[in-house]
Amino acid sequence: MIKGYAGRTLEVDLKNRTFAFKPLDEEIARLYIGGKGYGTRLLYDTTEAGIDPLGPDNPLIFATGPLNGSVAPQSNRFAVICKSPLTGGIGNATSGGSYAYGMKKAGIDILVCKNQSETPVRLEINGDKSEVAFIDASDLWGKGTYETQEILGKKKYHAVIGPAGENLVLFAGIVSNERIAARTGVGAVMGSKKLKAISVTGSRKLEMDDPEAFKEYTKTVRTLFRDHPVLGHSMEAYGTGAIVKTTNARGIIPTHNFKCGHFDNAMSLTGEYMADNTLVGTKSSCIHCPVTCGRQVDVQGHGTVKGPEYETLGLMGTNLEMPDIRKVQDWNYAADDMGMDTISLGAIISFTMELQERGMLQSGLNFGDPAGVTEMIHDIAHRHGLGNDLADGVKRMSAKYGGHEFAMHVKGLELSAYDPRGSFAQGVEYATTNRGGCHVQGGSMYMESVGPFTINPQNLKLKADIPIVQQNLACTINSMVLCIFTTYGMIPKAIHEMDPKSWQYRLAVTMFENSGPMFRLLTGLKGRPMMWWEKWLTYITGTTISSGHLQEIGGRIFNLERMYNLREGLTGRDDTLPPRMLYEPIFKHMKSGHPLDQLLPRYYKLRGWDGAGVPTRKTLDKLQVAV
Amino acid sequence: MRVTVEPTYEMTKLLKMYSFEVEVADAATVADVVEKTKTKVGPEFDKLVRLAAVAVNGVLVSHQRGMKTRLADGDAIRFVKASAGG
Repeated sequence: MIKGYAGRTLEVDLKNRTFAFKPLDEEIARLYIGGKGYGTRLLYDTTEAGIDPLGPDNPLIFATGPLNGSVAPQSNRFAVICKSPLTGGIGNATSGGSYAYGMKKAGIDILVCKNQSETPVRLEINGDKSEVAFIDASDLWGKGTYETQEILGKKKYHAVIGPAGENLVLFAGIVSNERIAARTGVGAVMGSKKLKAISVTGSRKLEMDDPEAFKEYTKTVRTLFRDHPVLGHSMEAYGTGAIVKTTNARGIIPTHNFKCGHFDNAMSLTGEYMADNTLVGTKSSCIHCPVTCGRQVDVQGHGTVKGPEYETLGLMGTNLEMPDIRKVQDWNYAADDMGMDTISLGAIISFTMELQERGMLQSGLNFGDPAGVTEMIHDIAHRHGLGNDLADGVKRMSAKYGGHEFAMHVKGLELSAYDPRGSFAQGVEYATTNRGGCHVQGGSMYMESVGPFTINPQNLKLKADIPIVQQNLACTINSMVLCIFTTYGMIPKAIHEMDPKSWQYRLAVTMFENSGPMFRLLTGLKGRPMMWWEKWLTYITGTTISSGHLQEIGGRIFNLERMYNLREGLTGRDDTLPPRMLYEPIFKHMKSGHPLDQLLPRYYKLRGWDGAGVPTRKTLDKLQVAV
Repeated sequence: MRVTVEPTYEMTKLLKMYSFEVEVADAATVADVVEKTKTKVGPEFDKLVRLAAVAVNGVLVSHQRGMKTRLADGDAIRFVKASAGG
């Protein structure tokens, strides 16, 4: 068995209440690492085209990777993979918390939940005894994620759904502690199986190829993180909410359903404002993680709970034109407790507000007015009244009520809180990412509009190149399974300390912008491990991993996802942006929207795809993508 | 002409306001506005401004003509700090 893996998978049949432990497929592990990569391979190989995402044939796959179970910072995420009920294509999401650690302690790399139970059920998995108990969960059905986990107790590691998952809300997620595998409706698939919760225990230890080297190097990384301007300082002080001020200044924070990118009253929604006014207690983090990005706030009647992250502050704050941070904190709590993705939730509410504004639907929801929002969140989670329509997401809402031109989604997945008209590479990433309009499947915005070293986000230079490198890297990060935030440590402290107004900075940016072939060459080089995730993988598995290796593996995973989507009926025509993004200018100097038509052909070419966006046989063979 | 200035959060603590308007000459550049803001904020401003980028209507001056970028009436000058997450 390759070191770093528990060496076994667990298949559970929820209808027949049977289970089987099986050996991990080492060939898949070598080619796809684990996590999202391994899960996608399983999904592709074990399902027929055209299955109903909410039917019994859609497996729900929980996948860890070789870094999970170690004490490497940010290595506490699990991936969930299935066919998405929201997009009809590949569905996946990752979450922090403690569940990934629990799965590895139980000696399980991959858990596949098949079929559907007829009544609410929960699983208790004892990894040491290799036992699975199917327990009636009728008493938990209907309860929120907080209460459910409290009842299940702290001695085990849990992954649970709330009422949103139970009621098949198409953007329901799966919760571990106060973190959520939020996107693409994985919680609805869990709900369709009547599976309320999974609890795992065990006492396995992770085996490593070179534990001493891992231990020593991890100490170095922890020191580096503590001293890093973002991972050590900004995240600790302000959390991800610090981004609000940045994106608002750059004019790319969604406002009024993405009609504009600047909200005059955004200051009270910033991480800095929260630090001064609403934070309580200590900051929070996932198990073993030194990056304390989690905030803690008081929500009336519920005590101290996790505060909103940047995406929530954007989609449910500025995008709804709600400057009251306490309202956003309340809504964030409600969404977490119901088990819903706050990105999609904010997007569907802002879409409904614009329908109201245009007289296309009477919902009682208005921009800048908090009245009715709390009630609507609960109506969505329980599919009551108009909430039943909102629970199906923006794409389906626009099909029913109109408003396609301002329906802010790609492939059915609602856009994150970065307006691509001020972040062209991020726009290409949104358009081409296999799960739809999301930012954590690459994170190109960090290179052009948010981070400390940003190229001009509004010309065409590198705008097709960066998304490919970032998407490939993210595929591997989500397969190890690490937190994507780890990549924000790539930019060293010295760059952070440069004056962004200086000629030296401008020169460095200009050189980078014009480095197209060199950029691709350097990131594709196979050599010695340089970054910490490459070194960890090398020390744990014993196989030398470098940037070039990861780009190849990431390309393999990305192309397999692409082939899955094509098999399910998506085409190159789905690689697009909402009409508002393509045709409505957002800046003074713009004449139109995002120039996707000028960038997509180059992206396809660099990917090795034909003009219709289909990977060529040569590309698939080169990457060893068996389809 | 008049331009709007939006400082960083740290600057707002010194200024006691989230944004303000500045009157500048017609041919003014970003450097002129930064200089004017400096007089408004005080000596602590130098330290705060060193690590902040400056954007005009959302576009960083490092992607334009730097601090020599010319301004127009009604422009929005925003001080920007790098961040990360999501």
